[in-house]
Amino acid sequence: MLCEQCKKRTATVFYNENINGKVRSFSLCGECAAKMREKGDIREITSMSGSFADPFSQLHDEFFGGFFGIPLQKTLTAQKKCPTCSMTFAEISKSGRVGCPDCYTAFQSELRPTLRSIHGTTAHTGAVPARHRAKQERNERLKSLKKQLGDAISQENYEQAAALRDEIRTLQAEKEKEGN
Amino acid sequence: MAWYNTTANASDTVISTRVRLARNINGYPFASRLETSGANEIIEKVSAPLEAAGFRKINFSDLSPVMATSYVERHYVSPEFAKLESPHALLLQEQTGLAVMVCEEDHLRIQCVQAGLALDEAYKNASRVEKRLDEDFDFAYTEELGYLTHCPTNLGTGMRASVMMFLPALTRGGYMDSLANQLSKIGLTVRGLFGEGSGSAGCMYQISNQVTLGITEQETLAKLRDAITQIIESEKRARDAISGDAMERMTDRILRAEGTLRYAHMMSSSEFIKLFADVRFGIALGLIQDVTYEQLGTLLVEVMPATLTLSAETTPKSEIARDKLRAQRIKSVLNAKA
Repeated sequence: MLCEQCKKRTATVFYNENINGKVRSFSLCGECAAKMREKGDIREITSMSGSFADPFSQLHDEFFGGFFGIPLQKTLTAQKKCPTCSMTFAEISKSGRVGCPDCYTAFQSELRPTLRSIHGTTAHTGAVPARHRAKQERNERLKSLKKQLGDAISQENYEQAAALRDEIRTLQAEKEKEGN
Repeated sequence: MAWYNTTANASDTVISTRVRLARNINGYPFASRLETSGANEIIEKVSAPLEAAGFRKINFSDLSPVMATSYVERHYVSPEFAKLESPHALLLQEQTGLAVMVCEEDHLRIQCVQAGLALDEAYKNASRVEKRLDEDFDFAYTEELGYLTHCPTNLGTGMRASVMMFLPALTRGGYMDSLANQLSKIGLTVRGLFGEGSGSAGCMYQISNQVTLGITEQETLAKLRDAITQIIESEKRARDAISGDAMERMTDRILRAEGTLRYAHMMSSSEFIKLFADVRFGIALGLIQDVTYEQLGTLLVEVMPATLTLSAETTPKSEIARDKLRAQRIKSVLNAKA
């Protein structure tokens, strides 16, 4: 993208400003940004990821406003409610915040594109609470056993396959007993 | 002794390090939908194990605004937290720099602030408190999204690690825009401190991770540490490059700043920030020997408006009285060691 001032150099500074709802944005090269700052046309850059400041509401407005061409408030998705806290998707988009932990399940598919644009991914890899660790380990064990079972069958190793199947059944029974 | 008057690593370029973990408790809605009774319940439940572990509980709903602001100035709570009207409390252990904000944006914000560059230590301390609370509480978590937070920007680890850097040479050389631009490409953000209105007078910047999902705590810390190491190198090169007339002018400016700090009769906080940056730079360049980083660190907290007001026997009634008090306080801290 070219700098919108000089229209020659590549834009590297993306300036977004929101003062009492009055929004201005510029894509500038370093030199033009410095000049504008000197003249006082733009303020000191205190947060470089200006476009990141509220990526949530911004993205959704763009997504719904620009993509479907319908204001967000009128879409069906906007009126969808969380069964636990009854927050609507319109409210979430507006505030940039969900209402309760269950909102993430209720609005899973609606939120996915936003999460991807914020974090670049939608899968957690960090720390795990103690009470989830056993569950998570069991799920990983199940995944690995199922793979081994597939391998055993394709190698016609039926004795091993039977043993694996039994272990899988035990783990799955445990899982169902706990409700997840 | 609090974090801001201790000696530290990489003091030439780093002022402080902060790591915070956001956690929420299952069974309660997030802060914006939380009722007063729910908030009070959370505060009570969380306080018990932390008070037993030597934390002091400060009920923010009972604090005067000036008292609340002084906790912001000491970096224990966010400005948003100090202004909340719903029930909220701080659990504080000053010696270790540990502070748990209860019922801020998330139910729990467990944070550790340390002087200098101390990412591992700050993380270890915060994580220890988190593990203790994990025993008693069922934190909102899913395998896919990690720790669930009020704002989706904190999902995953819920960890924000930030390093407050002092970059006078990169600031004066005009390199901050391009640095910030490079950092944003690798998922880090730069925020200027004391930047509003006065420009980047203080030459202080907070560098922190933006992304919290799909990256482990250790990877985040390593990435930040690598970036900080490189920024320290660039700042050092930029400092070494100052020579000739520029160095003469810089030396003059720095020594004048020290003189003004020591002898002024009145001092506004914005003037203090400018002089602070010059004197701090003077210590780094070896031009000033009789002022220490610890003294400056103490000042950076103690002469801020709210903390300064609280330290006075009688509340200063006018701006002139407050600026006089600030100048006196600066003198007494600087003369204490010299």
